[in-house]
Amino acid sequence: MAYEKKSFGGPRRKKTCPFTGPNAQTIDWKNVNMLGRYVSGSGKIAAARMNAIKPAKQRELTRAIKRARFMALMPFVREDA
Amino acid sequence: MANYETVFIGRQDLSEAQVKDITDNISKYVTTSKGKVNKTENWGLRTLAYRINKNRKGHYVLVEFSCETDKIAELERQLRLNEDVLRYVTVRLEEFATEQSAILNASSSDDRPHYKKDSGYRPRSNDKDREAA
Repeated sequence: MAYEKKSFGGPRRKKTCPFTGPNAQTIDWKNVNMLGRYVSGSGKIAAARMNAIKPAKQRELTRAIKRARFMALMPFVREDA
Repeated sequence: MANYETVFIGRQDLSEAQVKDITDNISKYVTTSKGKVNKTENWGLRTLAYRINKNRKGHYVLVEFSCETDKIAELERQLRLNEDVLRYVTVRLEEFATEQSAILNASSSDDRPHYKKDSGYRPRSNDKDREAA
């Protein structure tokens, strides 16, 4: 009759910034596949805390997404999602 | 001398030859103003993410070059006057990319969604954020 603690599949791993450290991705406004991971389904830029992105990198990422939007590589809003 | 990349979108009804003309004009301008073209990439006719001046598609071309900073304004002025160019952007680079642009091998990318296209599964709007985590 031991009280079973609810498990959530082991300890949660802490997220780390994908743009810093040894195997960091480079931020490139032409890499739409990479940028697409940091916008919501409707096309909004995800908050930095969602992906634990360092502030400087988030600014870089934001600029890249806006550039990609301007060049019609990414939508400003996606309404059919 | 600084390194730059310029990407422009040509109107959808341009022929390949016309697109090449615009690209050559850029290259010519860069070389005559004592710059150097590093490489050009033709991304082909791509579907735009939204309509621009009633165009649904556009010819994308990337030009990497190095030249003096004060020559950029004239280059952009020429692109602005050209009615066959829908959009352009010039970005200063720390250094030129060693590989071709990611957009050219996007279809063979390994970060495709985890669901099959015809499975009827529709990702919720925050699924993407979770994937990235």
